[in-house]
Amino acid sequence: MAINLRTSQAETREQRLGTITQWEGGARELARDSAFTYGCGRDCGPGGRRLCEQSSPYSQASMCAEQIAVTNATIIKDTVVIQHSPIGCASSQSFTSRYSRDLAARRGWKPEDPKSICTNLGEQDMVFGGVDRLADTIRQAYERHHPRVIFVATSCATGIIGDDIDETTRQLEDEIGIPVVPLHCEGFKSRHWSSGWDVIEHAILRRLAPNRPHEKRDDLLNVIHLGGPDVFSPLLNPLGLQVNLVMGGNSLERLADLSTAAATVTMCFVLSYLATGLEQEYGVPEIRAPLPYGLDATDNWLREIARVTRREHLVEAVIASERARIAPELERLREALKGKKGFVAAGAAFAHGLIADLRELGVTVDDAFSFHHDPMTDSKDPRQDSLGHLVQTTGDVEHFTVSPDQHFQAHAALKRANPDFVICRHSGSIAVLAGRMGIPVLPIFYSNDGLGYEGLLTIGRAILRVLPRRRFYQDVAAHSRFPYQQWWLEETNPYALAAETDAQAGLSEA
Amino acid sequence: MNIQSRLDDDADSGRFKAPSGPIEQVRYACALGALASVIAIEGAISITHCGPGCASKQFRALSGVSGYQGGEFHAPSTNIGNREVIFGGADRLDELISSTLKVMEAELYVVQSGCIPGLVGDDVANVVNAYQRRGVPIVFAETLGYRGNNFTGHETVVRAILDQYVAQQAGSAPQTRKGLVNVWSLLPYQNPFWRGDLAEIRRILEGIGLEVNILFGPASLGLEEWRAIPAAELNLVLTPWLGLSLARRLESVYGQPFLHVPAIPIGARATGAFLRQVAEAVEADPARVERFIAREEREYYHYLRDFAGFYSGCASQYKLPSEINIVSESAYALAIAKFFVGDLGLNPGVFVLTENPPDSEQAAIRAAFRDLAPGVDGEPIFEPDGHRAHDWIARRPRIGEYPILFGSTWEGSTAGEIGAPLVEISYPATDEVVLARSYVGYRGALQLLEHAYTAVVRQSTEENPEPSAS
Repeated sequence: MAINLRTSQAETREQRLGTITQWEGGARELARDSAFTYGCGRDCGPGGRRLCEQSSPYSQASMCAEQIAVTNATIIKDTVVIQHSPIGCASSQSFTSRYSRDLAARRGWKPEDPKSICTNLGEQDMVFGGVDRLADTIRQAYERHHPRVIFVATSCATGIIGDDIDETTRQLEDEIGIPVVPLHCEGFKSRHWSSGWDVIEHAILRRLAPNRPHEKRDDLLNVIHLGGPDVFSPLLNPLGLQVNLVMGGNSLERLADLSTAAATVTMCFVLSYLATGLEQEYGVPEIRAPLPYGLDATDNWLREIARVTRREHLVEAVIASERARIAPELERLREALKGKKGFVAAGAAFAHGLIADLRELGVTVDDAFSFHHDPMTDSKDPRQDSLGHLVQTTGDVEHFTVSPDQHFQAHAALKRANPDFVICRHSGSIAVLAGRMGIPVLPIFYSNDGLGYEGLLTIGRAILRVLPRRRFYQDVAAHSRFPYQQWWLEETNPYALAAETDAQAGLSEA
Repeated sequence: MNIQSRLDDDADSGRFKAPSGPIEQVRYACALGALASVIAIEGAISITHCGPGCASKQFRALSGVSGYQGGEFHAPSTNIGNREVIFGGADRLDELISSTLKVMEAELYVVQSGCIPGLVGDDVANVVNAYQRRGVPIVFAETLGYRGNNFTGHETVVRAILDQYVAQQAGSAPQTRKGLVNVWSLLPYQNPFWRGDLAEIRRILEGIGLEVNILFGPASLGLEEWRAIPAAELNLVLTPWLGLSLARRLESVYGQPFLHVPAIPIGARATGAFLRQVAEAVEADPARVERFIAREEREYYHYLRDFAGFYSGCASQYKLPSEINIVSESAYALAIAKFFVGDLGLNPGVFVLTENPPDSEQAAIRAAFRDLAPGVDGEPIFEPDGHRAHDWIARRPRIGEYPILFGSTWEGSTAGEIGAPLVEISYPATDEVVLARSYVGYRGALQLLEHAYTAVVRQSTEENPEPSAS
């Protein structure tokens, strides 16, 4: 199904991609069954079956799409984000602001608080509707900050009471004369928070990335990333390419340049919606090579970029020079990490990438925890099957758990894995869990850290920095416990509870 | 079992109304955020019936980046989706409670509902009642996000625990224990220093011979203290308004008297007066009280004597502040204003109170800011919006004053604009790592001086960089 930009709402990942959030088994099996679900446009092989999602009766607080959409709208410069919601949705302002200032420091921008405002809905608004308050807030946002764009994010509450955000934003856009862009991101609408990426990318595609077909630049490459320092220019400038780094904080000008680029790469296929949309709408080709995690994958990724942007004559020299540059330290890191066992916890394609990195560094990875799983990407191109690629190139991951950041399941998975360290995406509860279990943990705050040749060094060095902290974590672990029943503290199957429920259901049916 | 209705008399829900305007630079969480108060009670677990991001967002905001307080957060949650919105979520909640009992281990479960069940009309009380009838220690607090903030939510949650758990303990009514007091003070997690402060409050009350149910945080014994609440001789409400409704409730149920001291004491002068006031209310042994105060004061004034060197300008290149401005919830704003105006001799500047207290309490809060020092009044402004708070402070005319600003991370740019050092004392404090630090009582006052004047010295140094040594 093509991306539909006619409506202001992005379809959820469940609808578009068949995304699941609960699964347990081996990575090879998951990749095979995903291919089957896909519709067998590629090598399914025998024995595949439709992905069957688990269902756990017990669940813990997770995260919502609104948070992803709002955070990534907030860090776009010269904008104001309005959260049309009761005050609680906007309590994220403090950590979004912290993130924004940290990001500014790393990108060399002036650190300042981003501008976000909550319509602050109360009970009266639930009864009579909140659109008047929204209109008033949009006016105030404009008067206070004179932004160039105003985003309006919905909430569970406004979704349920049925406020017509599209109509209000249209009216106010006419009134104040700048784009007022709705973000439909009610938390209950998608089972996974990563749908929030689609929401903000949908809004960018519809409203902030105009078609500029006569201004094509054959040296401009769009790089869509989750956020963090620019690790791309050092790698791509030698190919004569300029990087247009978007998402993860950028200016409106960068978004306006999107349609002029020679191609787009996405650093995590979880947010490939924008790249696919740019190809569909503006013919900007999407680079579909597997992501640059590990040496071979990085070589091939560069070659594919060179092919699409017609720079093949430059690429082999860059590859050779980069490989030679990192070789001595890579050897040292492999030596230092020899025999270590790692555990990866992150979201889908990002997790697959980190596993590839660790394996390239000589670390054993038999256990991983993915916050969701996309059986396919929007392009439907099998080359973007990052899990399949991982399994083909580096082997199976015996225990591959899909769980939306569930603390109790991660506890069981970590108990089963007993790793020397955990590497995880920062936002989850995994970091604190691992530490409390006595396991050194490396949270990846900026997800570009593991990319390309340099990424192997970055990750390797960071692991070596955290390993000695075992002394601290083990001390804490010995003097605290988790409030789980003893049987769960000993459980090593993250889905033991779901299995039990299924068995009971089977029993009652029989 | 007679479960009291949550809406039987003063009806918490009627007391809060969302302020009329939009809010920028948010300074509190929604009512569901009171799950932080549950997490602050050792042995209690909050079961949240709300959307998938609600509970984690509230807790992460309150504890995650504000003081980096951490805390035991793995709250069960229904993570409501489309199906529950359309068909109702009561069955899903039932399933969650039942599996929680299987997986988690707690002495008390507090079911909290958020916006969605309020809007779709889930009968949460009915689901919870079924477990209560089976003797499960579980209570229900309706903490709908659009109906209150984490302050009123805190009162709702505590009220639920008092009515549905404490009052339901088996056995005869507990005997009043001489010298036992319940303390209702700072809002856990909202105030970044609540852990250290509650420990200091406990320490000084124990110092005069009392037994203390401090109820929240590492200095508390957890639910053991909660079960002993009815045995207390006195409820001590040590904030401008938060907890007053709870003390009134306890007075009507158990006949317990309460003592309301709006200002948490900071410094020897206020702390001594406070301890004598409490001692009088419970008829504590005056000799013991005076012995404790004398011992504490000897140490306190030893430090103050030495600090007086700095404060008298022996390092005169520093611009010692002359005017205090505060942006904070009312409890800390009042306590800090009294200390710096009353004890340090600063002039009152702008005091912005950010937590949107109930209308019914605002006159009393205003009154508490009178006589910060004899004849010196403060004029607090009730304003939850950061944009307007900034305007109040930045636009105040100042002639010859050196302002200092106590506030949150949000006040960074305001402080820069008026040339004031910023001391982070209120939510969100994202540039402070806080463990056991306290700013109240005897010991906390000394730490407050350390941090405030370290900020003064640093700011002076940044503004006037010394020429490099030649």
